[in-house]
Amino acid sequence: MHSILAVDDSASMRQMVAFTLKGAGYNVIEAADGQEALDKAKAETVDLVLTDQNMPRMDGITLVQNLRSLAGYAATPILILTTESSAEMKAKGKAAGATGWLVKPFDPSKLLDVVRKVIR
Amino acid sequence: MTAEHSNESSLPDAGRNAAQECAAIEADLERLKALFNDAAGRLLGSFNEFASLEQQTSRNLEERKRIESAIGSAVTALQFQDMATQLTHHAQRRLAALEICLRSLYGEVPGRGILEHPQPVRQAEMSSGSIDLF
Repeated sequence: MHSILAVDDSASMRQMVAFTLKGAGYNVIEAADGQEALDKAKAETVDLVLTDQNMPRMDGITLVQNLRSLAGYAATPILILTTESSAEMKAKGKAAGATGWLVKPFDPSKLLDVVRKVIR
Repeated sequence: MTAEHSNESSLPDAGRNAAQECAAIEADLERLKALFNDAAGRLLGSFNEFASLEQQTSRNLEERKRIESAIGSAVTALQFQDMATQLTHHAQRRLAALEICLRSLYGEVPGRGILEHPQPVRQAEMSSGSIDLF
């Protein structure tokens, strides 16, 4: 079973993401901010990271940069799921090493299509 | 009292009143966030209860498709709380900056310019957002 790290400071968003992914058979690990996600990514291997951008302690783009410098996460798909939709922010996400940029709110079937496409 | 004197004396009061209004609106927005959080928590609880019970119910293919579609729409709509909270928080920060700006005119707080706060939410409806794969 593939493991997905779902990162969002909103409990309701984490719940919606987890509901969608678990329903499709994925194991979901949750984190409330970038720092907690980084700690969990170091402690256990995940197959995909799905992260919010605006979070306390560590934002999504900083998380991507930190993950890319970790052994084992150079090629792991990382998707940013955020309300931010500006071209400038997307470019920053791409430069940091994100695999894709999804603007909230997400449609469960479309999210699953993307996850299946990028996950190993 | 001349009209000129009247204007001079009412201007400081108008500025202070405006600052007080900003503070009152900030407090109203905080209550609005609390209402969003409470409503979202209740909706999510009901949603989870329904989804859990639904999994135990046998349905024909047509019914299953309709229910999956309805649940998918609910998952998208239930994300309103996150977006509304971010938007409300952004409005509060701008009001707080405006309040400080007004109070600084009367020396009540150290002066500073209005801070630039990037707007994190541009959506005006709950249809699903764009997807870009790099």
